[in-house]
Amino acid sequence: MRISVLAFGLMAATALTGQAHADKLDDIIASGTLRCAVVLDFPPMGARDENNNPIGFDVDYCNDLAKALGVTAEIVETPFPERIPALMSGRVDVGVASTSDTLERAKTVGMTVPYFAFEMAVTANDKSGIKSFEDMKGKVVGATAGTFEAIALEKSVKEWGVGEFRPYQTQADVFLALSQGQIDATVSTSTVAQSNVKSGKFAGISVVGKAPYDIDYVALFTNREEYGLINYLNLFINQQVRTGRYAELYEKWVGGEVPSLTVNGVYR
Amino acid sequence: MFHYTFHWNQALKALPQMLDGALVTLQIALLSMAIGLAVAIALTLFRLSGSRILGALATAWIEVARNTPALFQIYMAHFGLGNFGIHLSPFTSLLVGIAFNNAGYLAENFRGALKAIPDTQARAGRSLGMTSLQAFRLIVMPQMLRVAFLPVTNQMVWAILMTSLGVTVGMNTDLAGITQELNARSFRTFEFFAIAAVIYYVIAKAVTLAARAFASRMFRY
Repeated sequence: MRISVLAFGLMAATALTGQAHADKLDDIIASGTLRCAVVLDFPPMGARDENNNPIGFDVDYCNDLAKALGVTAEIVETPFPERIPALMSGRVDVGVASTSDTLERAKTVGMTVPYFAFEMAVTANDKSGIKSFEDMKGKVVGATAGTFEAIALEKSVKEWGVGEFRPYQTQADVFLALSQGQIDATVSTSTVAQSNVKSGKFAGISVVGKAPYDIDYVALFTNREEYGLINYLNLFINQQVRTGRYAELYEKWVGGEVPSLTVNGVYR
Repeated sequence: MFHYTFHWNQALKALPQMLDGALVTLQIALLSMAIGLAVAIALTLFRLSGSRILGALATAWIEVARNTPALFQIYMAHFGLGNFGIHLSPFTSLLVGIAFNNAGYLAENFRGALKAIPDTQARAGRSLGMTSLQAFRLIVMPQMLRVAFLPVTNQMVWAILMTSLGVTVGMNTDLAGITQELNARSFRTFEFFAIAAVIYYVIAKAVTLAARAFASRMFRY
């Protein structure tokens, strides 16, 4: 008798949970809010204006995505190292946070196709005498901890066998340290480098050239098992390029030649 | 709610690297305590000296060290001094910041300990023909160190935990720095932070237990 009661209870429970299963895409639409993790310390991708409102390429991109989904966007400021904890603890739905799509990270989160591509530039303190990437050998260099360029630069320093690498927690700290002469040079995305040099907040630094690293393709990310949402995001990125919105946003925030998001000779 | 699958085998591969980091953490904590103790004794003497300038210096140090965040102190040692062209490496900035903090708290510990020692002790020493410095060094200070011993070990634990603030000034060889870097590379935040937390706990607990064993042996009446 008791066993049958238990069995009935179990059946009822499975039926209920089975029926109530909604994926993340459903949840976002139902809640009416899309919460995006955006790094607001990374101009021109994410920053704050004089009134402390979030602005930048990533902010506009999140707003476009929310519009497509028919919901309101909520920008959740997330420093680089906190992107994943924010996603895993359910504080954000999607990361629009200039996240490099490495294979190592894709074991943890689900990455879309690239939505932006960066080239790397070397910015040096004028007193350091550094005029090119090669001149950085043997000097004290730094970058924002956890970024594509930090990982690449640390590897370079290890290969050179001389000099020192220092990771700072925010992009602002890197440029502060560079401007003070604590570090001699940094590698950052060319967009960030130009934006910071132009801002006039950091004296005595200039962009001195390109860094010979691979193009840094960045992707949107969400939970790895949310295929429905990842599918939607991929189509959204495709549509942004197709409709010319990607080029429009690029012109607005960066300017110049729009980087291609495709790689020759291979499907994705 | 929590969509995450733990992959401990992946994270545990980095354990040797993290233990190397733990050694650096311990090294900074010990050095900062050694410097902190020396400075704290000096500050205590300054306050007892009766000199107004030395007393004011000691009070200012203790006030700032105890009433501002350790994060601020470490940040100032790196970027604050950097503004004046004094460039300390991340290791030194962290060490200076924590030692500064330690000295302030330890000096307060010593003051409390001194209060627990009746001044008749010093007077008894003087009546035996000691100078006041001798009375302090031979009678008061040993008792002061004994009373202050357990609070001092608390500060040691605190110093170990404070080293984790080094990541804000570019420190990447201590336990927190290595953990942050492993996290950035693989996004396996929860595994690496959990392992780091266990290592910090073990070190802190070991220090407390060792200190208690030492105290019960040394300070038997």
